[in-house]
Amino acid sequence: MDEFLQLCFNGTALGARYALVALGFVIIYRATGVINFAQGGLVALGAYLAYALGDTATLPFLLAVIGAVLLSGLIAAGTERVVLRRMVGQPVFAVLMVTIGLLFILEQLVTSIWGFRALNLGDPWGVQTVDAGGVVLATKDLWTIGITAGVLAAFFAFFRFSKLGVAMRATAFDQEAALAQGISARRVFAVSWGISGALACLAGVTLAAGPAALTPGIGAIALVAFPAMIVGGLDSPIGAVLGGLIIGLTQALTSGYQEDLFPWAGANLSQVMPYIVMVLILLIRPYGLFGTKEVRRI
Amino acid sequence: MRARTHGLMTRKYSDDLRLFGSTNAKLGLLAILLLYAFVPVFVQSAFWLSVLDYAGIAAVGALGLNLLTGYTGQVSLGHAFFIGIGAYAAAKLGGPDDVGLPLPLWLLGATLMGAFVGALIGPFALRLRGNYLAIVTLGLVFLGEHVFRNAKEITGGNSGTSVQTASTLLGADFKDLQFLGQNFSFNQGYFWLIWGIVGIAALLCKNLVRTRPGRAMQAVRDRDVAAEVIGVQLGRYKVGAFAMSSGLAALAGALLGSYQQFVTPEQFNLFLSIQYIAIIIVGGVGTIFGSILGALVLGGLPGLIDQYSASIPGVTTGSGDSGFISVFSLNQAIFGLLIVLFLVFEPRGLAALWLRVKAYFKAWPFSY
Amino acid sequence: MRGMRTLTIAGATVALALAGCGGADESEPAADGGTDAGASGGAPPNAPGFDGTTIKVGALSPLSGPVAVIGNPLTNGNKVFFDALNAKGGIAGKYKVELVQDDTQYKPDVAVQRYNRLKGDVVAFTQVLGTAVTLGVLPQLKRDEILAAPASLDAFWVREPNLLPVGNPYQGQAINGIDYYLKNGGEGKNICSLSQDDAYGEAGKEGVDFVAEKEGFKLASAQKFTQGDKDVTGQIQSLAGAKCDAVFVTSLPTDSGTIWGTAAKLGFAPQWIAQSPAWIDELGASPLKDYLAKNVWVVAEGTEWGDESVEGMKQMVADVEQFDPNQDPDYYFAFGYVQGEAMSAVLEKAVENGDLSHKGVLDASKELGNVSFDGLFGDYEYGDAEARTPPSASTIFEVDTDKPYALGTLEKDYTSEAVSEFEYKAR
Repeated sequence: MDEFLQLCFNGTALGARYALVALGFVIIYRATGVINFAQGGLVALGAYLAYALGDTATLPFLLAVIGAVLLSGLIAAGTERVVLRRMVGQPVFAVLMVTIGLLFILEQLVTSIWGFRALNLGDPWGVQTVDAGGVVLATKDLWTIGITAGVLAAFFAFFRFSKLGVAMRATAFDQEAALAQGISARRVFAVSWGISGALACLAGVTLAAGPAALTPGIGAIALVAFPAMIVGGLDSPIGAVLGGLIIGLTQALTSGYQEDLFPWAGANLSQVMPYIVMVLILLIRPYGLFGTKEVRRI
Repeated sequence: MRARTHGLMTRKYSDDLRLFGSTNAKLGLLAILLLYAFVPVFVQSAFWLSVLDYAGIAAVGALGLNLLTGYTGQVSLGHAFFIGIGAYAAAKLGGPDDVGLPLPLWLLGATLMGAFVGALIGPFALRLRGNYLAIVTLGLVFLGEHVFRNAKEITGGNSGTSVQTASTLLGADFKDLQFLGQNFSFNQGYFWLIWGIVGIAALLCKNLVRTRPGRAMQAVRDRDVAAEVIGVQLGRYKVGAFAMSSGLAALAGALLGSYQQFVTPEQFNLFLSIQYIAIIIVGGVGTIFGSILGALVLGGLPGLIDQYSASIPGVTTGSGDSGFISVFSLNQAIFGLLIVLFLVFEPRGLAALWLRVKAYFKAWPFSY
Repeated sequence: MRGMRTLTIAGATVALALAGCGGADESEPAADGGTDAGASGGAPPNAPGFDGTTIKVGALSPLSGPVAVIGNPLTNGNKVFFDALNAKGGIAGKYKVELVQDDTQYKPDVAVQRYNRLKGDVVAFTQVLGTAVTLGVLPQLKRDEILAAPASLDAFWVREPNLLPVGNPYQGQAINGIDYYLKNGGEGKNICSLSQDDAYGEAGKEGVDFVAEKEGFKLASAQKFTQGDKDVTGQIQSLAGAKCDAVFVTSLPTDSGTIWGTAAKLGFAPQWIAQSPAWIDELGASPLKDYLAKNVWVVAEGTEWGDESVEGMKQMVADVEQFDPNQDPDYYFAFGYVQGEAMSAVLEKAVENGDLSHKGVLDASKELGNVSFDGLFGDYEYGDAEARTPPSASTIFEVDTDKPYALGTLEKDYTSEAVSEFEYKAR
């Protein structure tokens, strides 16, 4: 039982990180109809910015993270303004590929500046743990879950109560009608990218915390966040969060029990479980758990 | 003096569809054939020959992807998986210790194997569209890699498998060609083999897209519901396009395995799929010619950059150098930049640039 | 861009082409000039990569990209060795050696292209890094009859005539490491393994399985992880659940931190026994260092960095000081240095035979006999591939943050009985 609880806790912490990235995907998708493949690049860039501000510019960790979150948001919004704005009205495939191109450029930017060596982020959590009756809770994971919960609460409040949040929901619902109401679609696009960049940075920081854990490879989390987003439904923020948790828990439990339950499926099944879950769910619900069914017109 | 119609004038639709109708097209064909025959003779450098060999392999795969993505509008990030299937099928079918088929048969067998698996996966495309399809095919790459790593009997698992295929056609061994008293190297022989297959594949694709099925595929791409309403059977064409595209990918994989004589699971990763998409974007989405052009440009560019990297300021070329960016990073960044620039400024790729130049000279000097 | 001609020339010189410069049979050495090729003792005739004064050797290494962290120090090791050799006069006291590097980016297809570029300009390859890369160029090496030194410790290199391996293979390290644990209080304890899911991981696992069979114990748990995976909680959990007292880990430095960090935070503290490439000195400076000092052994070869009592190490440290003072203590650097030593022994032999052609160098590698690395690595018994014997000793290190590479010797040159029974087979 302890083992099960331990795995669930770890799965939740992992899922929280996926949720942060997946939420970033969903926000951009709702506003602009684009799946942003460059999100992984923003995750890595955000983590390295936090490292640069904390380690190189010797800011306290909290300030470094806040600074990195703001910078990441600005960079993401800037990218939207310079590149993606030109792609409005282009086919889905073209826009998707542009974000893949951006991913390559961001990755090279990160590795050219900071190299490939594993670095210590300089977080205060280290390897501390809290013992909760048989289950070991790592401070880092507790903070990750806490940060994710806080961000989600703020995010939903923002969408529910702020003027800009309501404008974003309106734009997602019907772009033309929103425009007719005097809502600036451009502003909504830029803000969506900004928020998503900030979320990516937070995901990056929670991933890179720990001993020698900051490597350019942390951007690869985005590839697992895709299934999380699809499982939840491309345009549903709640779906993204739930999808993230589902994927995180599935991975943790698979890696814990696979050896006993299905050894024939090959080592490392947990690595591909997210994709298996995704395909299964799509077979039953082609638009994910909470996604809106697309209306097709001729 | 008898009046003669201008070469541009067409009277029938069938004239528009001719493959090599005009004198210019015939001359172009001749030039291509001459290039095919003599490039390996003049390009003696083993390095550039191997670059061209890899580019030819990529061209075959890109033709397949262009049928699916360029002509039928189905975005697939799963191309690498089918290339892997082809490579492993070639290892099994062509290996002397396994089935040991002769050259044309193992190539055909690998192609059919890819097409078969493609047809199995194709129905997903019926249910999913656009972004959803892209992500599901992305999942295919990861699932495929997992299978390649674990199906040890077939793929050799993580340590990979050696691919020892027969390479003799009509008494000529492409690995060790002897012709007119000359000995030709492995790289030269494979150039003729690979680019010969590129030619055949391109001709097949061209014939496909200029006839009825091709028009149906393009109708599906442009508006699938509308296509369905005018009587195009969506299921048939979507699954068909998937099967053909996967078949060509597997053919490319078979050539890759046979040329490299060794493959490992990690070669068939997401990056390979993205590379193929980049090839058709840079070359020209929805053009046959563009697939080949894109493969040549993206295949040759890293070689060129590397060759001249020493004279580019700020680039590190070896261990112990100082500089801002390594050749690898520069190549990757240029790769990304090419995708972005082409999509933003010339979404129809190099082929469109070429057509524009051609159109200008067709009516020259009255180019208006 | 030698050889790229335009279409116009192609058209104009069709007839010439057919008559003249048809095939490019690269496998034939373009021996020209020079003296009697067969005569032993005389100056070797010119050959690809040898112009009568300088011998060029190639290095196919990931010099950029993620694996450059390994490729760069390794290539530096090659370079420093040859720089030092040249300062002493070179091969046979008169032929300088020049290292020609090319970047493989750790990809087999890129490596095959780069191999083709270099092969006409070098007598042999003193470094080919990466298991998949080596397997990718191996068929071509065989066709061209060229010798290459692989920069990994896979066991199947031992029986490949075109390869020139150094060091005790991964399997041997694993066997020695576990045997040492068994003989030092580990009898009857639960032994487990954690390995990377690729060829490197499987090599370590093979050694673990071999010693388990020999010593008649069953692994309590065998886990795998994917390189670059940031979450190994499940694997660590299973190891802890199986009550492992010792875990043999086959990983690369980027993942070692994640693995040990996860174990530390879960309060799991077995005796970790790590394969040599798993260690990197940054780990000794991380917040984990106390955990590592208490729980980690690293199985490698030779002695600790800067140990003046070992002749080979003394020489290497002096050479580093002189030719590349910026080089930090690094296991991979030492590996590259040893590779240079092995290659120079082959070249000496080839010069003695008076044949520096590709085939001549390949043949020379079979006549080497025993080559000593002066304690830097174990002595290697070369000869026909069928008869080669790799060194069988391993040195067990413990983490000691006061030492230059954060590793201190626990037991030097430990050879288990089981390791001599391990059979090296071709693939």
